[in-house]
Amino acid sequence: MIKKSSLCLILCLASAGALHAAGKSAKAAQAAVPAINGFSASDMPYDAGGAALLRWPVNAADTETTVYTVYASSSDGAGWVRIDEFPSSANTGKGIDLPFWAWDGSAAEHAYKAELGNFFPGAAEGTVLRFKVASSDKGRVTAESLPAEAAVSGNWFRLDRLNNLLLLVLVMVVFFWAVSHAKRKGLFIRRIAGLDAIDEAIGRATEMGKPIYYVPGIGSMSSISTIASAFILGEVSKKVAQYDSFIKIPHYDPIVMTVAKEVVKQSYMEAGRPDSYREDLNFFVSQDQFSYAASVDGMIAREKPAACFFMGYFMAESLLLAEVGATSGAIQIAGTDVEHQLPFFFTACDYTLIGEELYAAGAYLSKEPMLMSALKVQDFGKLVVMVSVLLGIVLLALGTKLHWDSFTQVILNLFKAY
Amino acid sequence: MKFIKKHIPLLIVLVVGVLTLASYYVPNKYSVDYLELMNKWENIVSAFAFLLGLISLFYSHYNKIKRKTDGWGYSLFVYVGFLAMVVPALMNGGRQMVDGQVTSLGWSFRYIYNALSATMFAVLAFYIVSTAYRSFRIKSAQAFVLFVAAFILILGKVPLGQIIWDSVLGWTHTGIDQVIEWIMSVPAVAGKRGIMIGIAIGAVVTSLKIIFGIERQYMGRD
Repeated sequence: MIKKSSLCLILCLASAGALHAAGKSAKAAQAAVPAINGFSASDMPYDAGGAALLRWPVNAADTETTVYTVYASSSDGAGWVRIDEFPSSANTGKGIDLPFWAWDGSAAEHAYKAELGNFFPGAAEGTVLRFKVASSDKGRVTAESLPAEAAVSGNWFRLDRLNNLLLLVLVMVVFFWAVSHAKRKGLFIRRIAGLDAIDEAIGRATEMGKPIYYVPGIGSMSSISTIASAFILGEVSKKVAQYDSFIKIPHYDPIVMTVAKEVVKQSYMEAGRPDSYREDLNFFVSQDQFSYAASVDGMIAREKPAACFFMGYFMAESLLLAEVGATSGAIQIAGTDVEHQLPFFFTACDYTLIGEELYAAGAYLSKEPMLMSALKVQDFGKLVVMVSVLLGIVLLALGTKLHWDSFTQVILNLFKAY
Repeated sequence: MKFIKKHIPLLIVLVVGVLTLASYYVPNKYSVDYLELMNKWENIVSAFAFLLGLISLFYSHYNKIKRKTDGWGYSLFVYVGFLAMVVPALMNGGRQMVDGQVTSLGWSFRYIYNALSATMFAVLAFYIVSTAYRSFRIKSAQAFVLFVAAFILILGKVPLGQIIWDSVLGWTHTGIDQVIEWIMSVPAVAGKRGIMIGIAIGAVVTSLKIIFGIERQYMGRD
């Protein structure tokens, strides 16, 4: 019994000695790794949270084979999680995509945006995390920073979007000035042939005793072009009611159908023809793009309408609809803000409203002074863009020619969307 | 009554519009949560609105069949098509595959829905030809420019066209590829960007008109 216990004691002492020796050598190895000085961690500015900004000076001794590894840890007791690894030439202060008024980064420091969402998915707002960075060369750790802490949280303002906000404020000031100075007379608006032809199209339908098809496209009610289409529908259906003609409005989106029903009903009432209004003028067809196109094509081919309006958001079905309308002999007026569908409408329709004309159509047709005045704001916006483009070209050319890199960067930042 | 019918909807539009606009400049979690909430509401409203759409669809086609209007027979296919998709979907719990086997829903989807959609999309190719023919009829100076640009593009996309170009215009030392690249990256992009700038400005002004209640035709007038 005594022999057994003395054997155990000897074994324990031997193993303790070995462990102590191992610990000593590990500490010695750690002490041998130089520290990366000036490493700091902070919350990433102007973001929704979930990212930290790590900064440390560029080491002149780094070679092409030097690699930095970024680690993060949720608390003191938890282990380190490897976040990313990148060569020493990457992620300098110049690489952060923020404008000069929101970020002061230089090529003399490393600046790394650590996206933490995938590594700490359950971390609450304001959670304090620890970070460290280590450099290595061909697999051997050459330097390591001391851990730095940062609380990661969402910010309240995107300072990088300040240029955008200032432009919006300017547009809003002009908008309110234009609306408050709305005049009933003396406001020149250039003629839009497509909108002037609406009367002709409806008159033709009345004479021929054939229906008019108004297709509001496949956009939802949150699409600007669909909203603009609803304004035009109001004016078109009012004229249809006045002429005692007949309009059919096939729908792709049930919400758009509900809104269009109200708009058409109101127009019939304003025209003094509430008796002519029928609930089935607006009808749902399908929420599938090609089913919708096939169904409307079938109706147009069978009924041969006198006029077709295609106003709103359109994709591949634009040509399917417009071509069938053209072969049926209908007078066709189209308008969309989807620029890659415009060529199809140009070739297959008699008149086409291009983008902004679609938005202006409601004001053009209604002749309401406040709406007409708002068109001035569009012109003002175009003037701002034209002046900015010209000025930008001249200043950038000048900056490039004279090698004023900082000046060129400032100009580029001013005109960039963040 | 006017307060409920006009002012409250306008106030909702104003508040939601301003909050949504502000969320573009406020990256906070509350802003992100707000946008997510709005998206969820939109989905819920869409789901209920779809029911309205379905009722409208059945009602209009029922009337066509009842009145025996022109082409009323096609209206029967609305009900046939609806049943051909919904019955298998109910039978198979909405699954297209079970244990590696295609269910009746999968069969309907593959051999009815997909086949019909592909057919419609294929028709587009024929319409493009007839549209191209129509647009190539030179009636004005603009149409001539369009024709020349399109002709060069077509020529450059086929080997025979490249051979013709090289034999006729080879002395210019300008390849047709270079001409195509110039057309696509200079005049085409310039025109496209002009349209896009106009659209963007128009969209901003239209949004402001709606948010601040200047344009309210979408909710009917007084």
